[in-house]
Amino acid sequence: MAVETVVSQDGKKLTIKVKGRFDFGKHQEFREAYERKASRPDYVVVDLKEATYLDSSALGMLLMLRDHVGGDDSEVRVVNTSSDVRKILAISNFDKLFDIS
Amino acid sequence: MSDIHIDHKVLSDLQEVMEDGYLNLLDTFLDDSKKRLSQLHEAKSAAELGHAVHSFKGSSSNMGAVALAELCRQLEERVKQQPLYGIEDLINQIDCEYKVVRQLYGEERRRVSID
Amino acid sequence: MPESPLTVLIAEDGAADRLLLARIVSRQGHAVLTAENGEQAVALFAERRPHLVLLDALMPVMDGFEAARRIKTLAGEALVPIIFLTSLSEEEALVRCLEAGGDDFLAKPYNAVILAAKIKAMDRLRRLQATVLEQRDQIARHHHHLLNEQRVAKAVFDKVAHAGCLSAANIRYLQSPYALFNGDLLLAAFAPSGDMHVLLGDFTGHGLPAAVGAMPMAEVFYGMTAKGYGLAQILREMNAKLKRILPVDMFCCAVLLSLSFQRQVVEVWNGGMPDGYLLPVEGGEPLALVSRHLPLGVLAPERFDDSTQVLPMALGQRLLLLSDGVVDTSDEHDQLFGVDRLLRVLADNRQPPLLFEEVLGALEAFRGRSRDDVSLLEIRMVDADELTPAPVMYSDSGQCAPPDWSLQFEFRAETLKRFNPLPYLLQLLQEIHGLRGQSGALHSVLNELYSNALEHGVLGLDSGLKQDVQGFAEYYRQRNERLQALSEGYIRIGLKIEPQGSGGRLTIEVQDSGKGFNASKVLARPLAEQGLCGRGLNLIRRLSRHAEWADDGRRACVEFAWQALA
Repeated sequence: MAVETVVSQDGKKLTIKVKGRFDFGKHQEFREAYERKASRPDYVVVDLKEATYLDSSALGMLLMLRDHVGGDDSEVRVVNTSSDVRKILAISNFDKLFDIS
Repeated sequence: MSDIHIDHKVLSDLQEVMEDGYLNLLDTFLDDSKKRLSQLHEAKSAAELGHAVHSFKGSSSNMGAVALAELCRQLEERVKQQPLYGIEDLINQIDCEYKVVRQLYGEERRRVSID
Repeated sequence: MPESPLTVLIAEDGAADRLLLARIVSRQGHAVLTAENGEQAVALFAERRPHLVLLDALMPVMDGFEAARRIKTLAGEALVPIIFLTSLSEEEALVRCLEAGGDDFLAKPYNAVILAAKIKAMDRLRRLQATVLEQRDQIARHHHHLLNEQRVAKAVFDKVAHAGCLSAANIRYLQSPYALFNGDLLLAAFAPSGDMHVLLGDFTGHGLPAAVGAMPMAEVFYGMTAKGYGLAQILREMNAKLKRILPVDMFCCAVLLSLSFQRQVVEVWNGGMPDGYLLPVEGGEPLALVSRHLPLGVLAPERFDDSTQVLPMALGQRLLLLSDGVVDTSDEHDQLFGVDRLLRVLADNRQPPLLFEEVLGALEAFRGRSRDDVSLLEIRMVDADELTPAPVMYSDSGQCAPPDWSLQFEFRAETLKRFNPLPYLLQLLQEIHGLRGQSGALHSVLNELYSNALEHGVLGLDSGLKQDVQGFAEYYRQRNERLQALSEGYIRIGLKIEPQGSGGRLTIEVQDSGKGFNASKVLARPLAEQGLCGRGLNLIRRLSRHAEWADDGRRACVEFAWQALA
């Protein structure tokens, strides 16, 4: 599975792991990762440790996720980013919307 | 009626398939065969002979005339090899066999007409 | 009965065999055509187009193999299965049959059961082929429609974007003709004041979705630029529009520039595009114009950051903008061209006019295959007189407005913080036909008067700071800071239109609440020493009929006049 989800015991934290290329091909899977959850999590973590590549459609997917979990009121963290991925996120200044590490 | 000359199973299958066209089939075969025999006798080359006997083999096998078909097959094989010898003998055998077959089909024809 | 009855052609020279076969096949529910030889078979096929053919291999006139070849040719793309009827020896028969285009063979004596099975199998193949051809044709039709839709979209877009000035003398650019469908956007237009606005953008997505977003953006860009709006307002409008109309996951990375040839500065905003470069005239480090903002269409209007960077740009300096297709160009080993290689090309350049070619050349040499999503733009700072902006197009019916009115506005602190009144005032003045010929000058003068009143008057900034890049940065930092903190102060703008002779006269008065300055002293200094501020006053003098400063420099009074139109 290229996109894995883990929900914490108390249901407040949703972790989405993306493996391989984070591009348009992952669109469906990524959406299902957060849409099908019964309750809205308090915060979401996107783990890109095993992601090899990120393009503009991935940025779009992150925006949709953020919008789904509350938009400006949400807290979405993007973690375990490689330097290449961080560079792409930096050019688009996505650190102004997401907590990136 | 001897089964050496005609396979009666084939004949009854033919009758079943052709239904009321059975008589016509028998007549057509007999007519066709006369032409084939002339072709055999009048053939001017090995190729011509080969074609004629090949066709005759095919139609006789369809009609269940097994011995006739077998003789045709032998002649067909013989014609392929040089020098051509024993041809005349085989053609004569085919003539004879056909006479028998024609007789048997005639009887079959009469049998069916009566029924 | 079979699922669907077929028309079967039987070509067999033995009369009895033909009769038998015909009966077997028609008993299986199919329609039967018969032929005695190959020639008849081909003719019958051409006339009746049966679904399936049973061919005797050896026939007089034309044998089965030749007939098969001709029938297959006549059938074209469609599959017409051919079953050979033969009592040839097995191996030889099979080979010859297949070579002649046969699909199967049936031995004598005929076996009805086997024949039925073969016909069924062949029919399945026939129908499969027919389906494949139909789907292929459907796909081709859809593709054709899609290409047509794209062509229409592009035609509409070209109409929207045609008013641009990409062909200006100081611009060089490279853009693929299908850039629109890669989401790449390149727009340039003159503002009425003579300033040049440029936009290089990159929409997410491909194809029509990317193109569709580009159109409203281009309309806003051209419309507002033509009306004299500044970058900040244009950016706010574009962001708000895209945020409203595009789905959440679509946005547009963009870099926007406003070049002022009169003041020799460039204003920059970069949201999500790769670094642009401001190149020195001779050698030295290029200045990177880094993306500091989120792309357009992401943030809600109240959170959007329209702050720009203002930099001095001397005559002969160049700006280089590129889409990410440049840095992302890869060679056959999937190595990226990268920023380092680009910087090396910039550093190695000895003759500035050749820089554009050198960048293109380096890309060509590097990549194995061509890319169609590279956009490259080079803009040179030139003297204002070197460029001839296109004449402004007016959208009214040409009726004259009454030539005798006056009005006064007073803009106070809260309004000054977030509102630029000039576009509205200029719209009013455009009603006066006699003034239209001086539209550019009018825009420039009003811009100068307003920014002087705001920056030097109300905000009390020292234009002496604007000597170099750091100075500019500091100046604009202070400007933002003081503007945010502004709680009192005003700018009064008065416009008076009077008839004069056969034409008319416009008197502009701009008053500010600042400390004032010694205008005559500034104007008296030699031009070179005056710096950018002094240049502004001289510009106003030069462009208008009369200009004077009173009240310690706090009140500027500028006149324009026109003759009646013929």
